[in-house]
Amino acid sequence: MRNYFARRVVASILTILLISTITFFMMHSIPGGPFTRERPVPDAILASLNEKYHLDDPLFVQYLDYMKGLIKFDLGPSFSKVGVSVNQLIAEGFPTSAKIGGFAVLLIVSLGIPFGIISALRQNKPLDYITMIAATLGVTIPSFVVATLYIYFFAGKLRWVPTFGLHSWKAYIGPVLALCGYSLAFVTRLTRSSMLEVLRQDYIRTARANGIREFKVMAKHAIKNALIPVVTYVGPMIASILTGSFVVESIFALPGLGGYFVESITNRDYTTIMGVTAFYAAFYIIMVLLVDIAYAVIDPRIQFENGGN
Amino acid sequence: MAAPSKDKFVFVSNQEKDIEEYRQSLTYWEDAWRRLRQNKLSMVGLVTIILIIIFGFFGPMFTQVSYSDQQNDYKNLPPFFSLYKLEENVYSYISGDYNMFIIDGKGNLIEHLEEIETKAPLITFDFSKPLSPSETKKKNDEATSDTTKTYKYGDTEIVLDYTGRVDETLGWEYQITFGDVVANQIEKKALNRQFPFGTDGLGRDLLTRVMYGARISLIVAFVATIVNLLIGVTYGAISGFEGGTTDNIMMRIVDIINSIPLMIIVILIMVLIGNQGLWTIVITLGSVYWVGMARLVRGQILALKEQEFVLAATTLGVSRKNIIIRHLIPNALGPILVSMTMMIPSAVFTEAFLSFVGLGVSAPMASLGTLANSALSALLTYPYQLFFPALTIAIIILAFNFLGDGLRDALDPRLRKG
Repeated sequence: MRNYFARRVVASILTILLISTITFFMMHSIPGGPFTRERPVPDAILASLNEKYHLDDPLFVQYLDYMKGLIKFDLGPSFSKVGVSVNQLIAEGFPTSAKIGGFAVLLIVSLGIPFGIISALRQNKPLDYITMIAATLGVTIPSFVVATLYIYFFAGKLRWVPTFGLHSWKAYIGPVLALCGYSLAFVTRLTRSSMLEVLRQDYIRTARANGIREFKVMAKHAIKNALIPVVTYVGPMIASILTGSFVVESIFALPGLGGYFVESITNRDYTTIMGVTAFYAAFYIIMVLLVDIAYAVIDPRIQFENGGN
Repeated sequence: MAAPSKDKFVFVSNQEKDIEEYRQSLTYWEDAWRRLRQNKLSMVGLVTIILIIIFGFFGPMFTQVSYSDQQNDYKNLPPFFSLYKLEENVYSYISGDYNMFIIDGKGNLIEHLEEIETKAPLITFDFSKPLSPSETKKKNDEATSDTTKTYKYGDTEIVLDYTGRVDETLGWEYQITFGDVVANQIEKKALNRQFPFGTDGLGRDLLTRVMYGARISLIVAFVATIVNLLIGVTYGAISGFEGGTTDNIMMRIVDIINSIPLMIIVILIMVLIGNQGLWTIVITLGSVYWVGMARLVRGQILALKEQEFVLAATTLGVSRKNIIIRHLIPNALGPILVSMTMMIPSAVFTEAFLSFVGLGVSAPMASLGTLANSALSALLTYPYQLFFPALTIAIIILAFNFLGDGLRDALDPRLRKG
């Protein structure tokens, strides 16, 4: 098993390097450089800018430089924000994204899983129907609609919460709700169906036949097994919530990493695009790796010898 | 124990014994369709999808204006009018940006009134000496005291006083003076007959735009799903059928693609190829989201290729290509179809997101996402502009989800009896 994880870690590092390579060449094949403006920059200034950022080097040399920096976790300077490095941007923006993302994940796990389990245990009862209708609506409504409706009613009409920024605890409610809507609904549905599947299994009947108390059957046999597919989903979900919040961040005008990412796209700030992409990908890959490790802990049936498929 | 008496048995006559129950044999698809029809929710989904397709593709033929026609006189009209009564069957509506309209009792737009420019009294400030706070307040009040507008209606004038918008103690929002009629209470509410969904900030009919947006969103979703399907099925089938090293390499590539958040790849590709119309977004979505499909098909093919009918086909000398196309893929069609139905709403979702952050279809084309995005800036004044596109997105996604759930139940062989 240790062998398997060693292989996975190496593969993950290779994947991150590969992604960085692809983004590097993608960014450099876009026509127009980062200093292309509507009003042309004088040639001399352009040349010195290019020299400063080593853009006059051959592409391959630039690539090697970039990769060397990447190995040392140095993502280079931002092209559009003078004097700010991409590392600083990430250090500045990620805590905000992580805060609202973290709350969203907490809310999803602490509401979605219990509601899914209760819903499965009360199958076809009113509570189950209400939960499932709510969950279906949650999967259906895009987060930007949730966010804008929230702003319209609670910030605009009722004036209970601020429309933007994160200056008080009230300001967190909207972004967190908008961020967790889809995943919360999905986790609830997933937990419910997986729980229903497990409850039909023979070992549950055996456990009950052996006279084990119902609570213990549920806690020890049913829920533990029902959570396996949920864990598979939750791992990558954490990564995509923490990284994929740019729509919510831009609606609520939060100074998060997603906002910087969108801004860097419009500004053609290549180093920021490359750096943030590499950061996102690395984060995502690490989360998937952690999920696989969590698997081994939850489910001893999983064999790692044959490549983990 | 006494032997059971004869009269406890009923003897079957020979004739009856020979009658076998004949049941029409059903093919897999007939059976699936029969199951699907029994599932009410998914039939609702199916009907809704058909209605939305009709709404999007044929609806614009029946509206008077096209999606890009701008009517400057009719900006930001809501679907509901709050009317002030002027005289019998003549009502007035004031829009959020102080345009006055004459509307009849049924909600038909009669006329957009021209505003007469009135000269506000000139207020002079003397900045040479500092003003005391009370003086400043007085000057400010003077400067903002003119809260009336005058409109030309035929030969007469209508004066609108909107002091009530700021001063809540007055108990009214607008006060309209028309001859000797003074109206400051909303007389009645009427549906907008001409623009049932209202108009946007450029005076474009929202109903037509939502129809058009639904069409674009559906086209993007369908075509992207078909591209996904082609790539995913081909890739998965080859990988699963060949096995061995080929399978290994192909699946490692899938693993790598799968280990990046797909939204980021989509954004990168959109940045790279630039926004060049509808097809860029279709190709981008189609070329990224096939990974799940490839995995699914590979799993199916791996299970199917060990079965006897494949062996039989091989023995008969059917070529490998034909085994995949004629024998393996048709047998895997059920799960493929289910996954396809689930892919369409997620493509609608993704397209809406991309359009929302400004990477989607570009003006004058409009998708549901761009409609929602353009409603955002004036959300607090004109919420209906967001409501209809958002509702349409929700209905589309809901309908496909219902249909997909039903299809999964109908096509899942584990639920099939006998």
